[in-house]
Amino acid sequence: MIGKLTVSTTISLLLLFGVLVLVVLVPLLPGYDPYTQNLMSGLLPPGEVSPEGQMYLLGSDALGRDALSRLALAGRISLFIGLSAVLLSLVVGVFVGLIAGFFRGWIENVIMGIADLQLSIPRVLLLIAVAAILGTGVLKLAIVLGLTSWVVYGRVARAMALSLREREFVLSATTQGATAAWNIRKHLLPNVVPQMLIVGSYELGQIVVLEAALSYLGLGVQPPLPSWGLMVSEGQTYLELDPWLSVLPSITLFMLVAGVQILSQSFTAENDMSAEIVKAQ
Amino acid sequence: MAYFVVRRTLQSFLTVLGVVTVTFFLVRMAGDPAVLLLPVEASDEEIARLRTALGLDQSWIVQYLKFLANALTGDFGVSLRQRTSALGLVLDRVPATLELALSAFVLGMVLAFGIGLAVRLSRSRKLRTIIMWIALARQAIPVFSFGLILILIFSVWLRWLPSLGRGGIEHLVLPALTLATYELALYLRLFNASLAVEQRQDYVRTAYSKGQGRTKVILFHMLPNALLPLVTVAGINLGLLLGGTVVTETVFSWPGVGRLIVQSVSQRDYPVIIAGVFIISLIFVMVNLIVDVIYGFLDPRVRVA
Repeated sequence: MIGKLTVSTTISLLLLFGVLVLVVLVPLLPGYDPYTQNLMSGLLPPGEVSPEGQMYLLGSDALGRDALSRLALAGRISLFIGLSAVLLSLVVGVFVGLIAGFFRGWIENVIMGIADLQLSIPRVLLLIAVAAILGTGVLKLAIVLGLTSWVVYGRVARAMALSLREREFVLSATTQGATAAWNIRKHLLPNVVPQMLIVGSYELGQIVVLEAALSYLGLGVQPPLPSWGLMVSEGQTYLELDPWLSVLPSITLFMLVAGVQILSQSFTAENDMSAEIVKAQ
Repeated sequence: MAYFVVRRTLQSFLTVLGVVTVTFFLVRMAGDPAVLLLPVEASDEEIARLRTALGLDQSWIVQYLKFLANALTGDFGVSLRQRTSALGLVLDRVPATLELALSAFVLGMVLAFGIGLAVRLSRSRKLRTIIMWIALARQAIPVFSFGLILILIFSVWLRWLPSLGRGGIEHLVLPALTLATYELALYLRLFNASLAVEQRQDYVRTAYSKGQGRTKVILFHMLPNALLPLVTVAGINLGLLLGGTVVTETVFSWPGVGRLIVQSVSQRDYPVIIAGVFIISLIFVMVNLIVDVIYGFLDPRVRVA
């Protein structure tokens, strides 16, 4: 079991390391240029040398922009959106969930009612509707994804708060005159944070995929900025001429999502059904 | 049991009401429909006249109640582009979406049972590990990427199947496979996990100690119990499946509700977006209700909770 765990953890770390190299190191290379168009050298396959004698390591897109540079910039954008959305939803979810679980009563009913309601609209659809109305853009996308993803954290935080509030250390603090705010901050919060970070690590993969899906549909990151999802969609037109355009961003997406998924799975026990069901939502 | 069914139905009704309420506020946030309906060069007077005609000069409460009444009669307004009933446009696309979602669901379930059971019966640890790794890898590929890879292999290179549109069964294969395998990974992992849980139960040990064969124990004792969690998660995951149809329909130019919604977004055709979101949520809530009621029949403990 330990041997197997190490293998999967190694694989996931290798995948994530690859993404990290792409995102951090590639922009430092001398030839890094995700924007300059060169119609003379469009749709070059990886490794091909352009008529001007310039080498495109991973080829170029229809407008002659360097695919490697665009992949790297797209990765930065995706990770920025993903990380800020996870952070935002984690903060909102934990705050709301702890309040629901600690105070119970009508507050809990209202908060959990909103959570159920939100779950009754498929997530992609909700995002499409909100993005259609609020508009697109990197920052807006991060906020929209963050505000629509709090339910998982909210539910887990509430469930944990329900049992924590009955524990001796909370009860004794209350009898000594501790306020609810103090109890939540000092006693509940430290106890839920580790669990929340595990949920968050899994969610990062989900959010990046959602961002990619929205961008693929044309409702996320807007050109000329690149996003892996947008690059797949741009490449679809040239699928027959140059499949690399769609395949490369698919590979980087896979590396990130698989890495995050395997890693977060090694945190949780394989047979933990409740974790599976939480993830399924 | 009757009480349970009535209570769940009421809950579902409340959920749909909530969805309609959310959509109403989303529409209002989207801006003034009067401005959107009229050409850009319309005068302020014309806009004011249309606002009165549409009832937009009334208070929010009155507008909300009117919207609710209209929505209950199936009136979600007129498509800003096509000038026909928004709901009618959406309903025209429902059969295509249901066809895709249902075949993906059935295909996913059949594959999950088949592969999961075969792996469990074969006793091969290696085979199980390999299958689970493949399932895990598939789950890490976004729907649109997987769809494109299928198109690349089966339409562009092998030229076996068409890459877009709706028609005969050959049009259905790639989109259904795209959606079904995404669910498949999840189901396989769940099925595997729930079989592993059942294997440790007392009744399984009892069956073995009475001399039952391994195949019989798995098929007749463990399987029925291992299926229940799968039914629940399949119900919960329906949102994922319906959400997945939106992307899949766009990849394969499948003329369903999801593609209509995406197209309406780029055309800023709000009534159609709202009607589409409403219909998909309605399908989602209804199926969840049905799943819950079936579950209530299968497992009496659920009715009390």
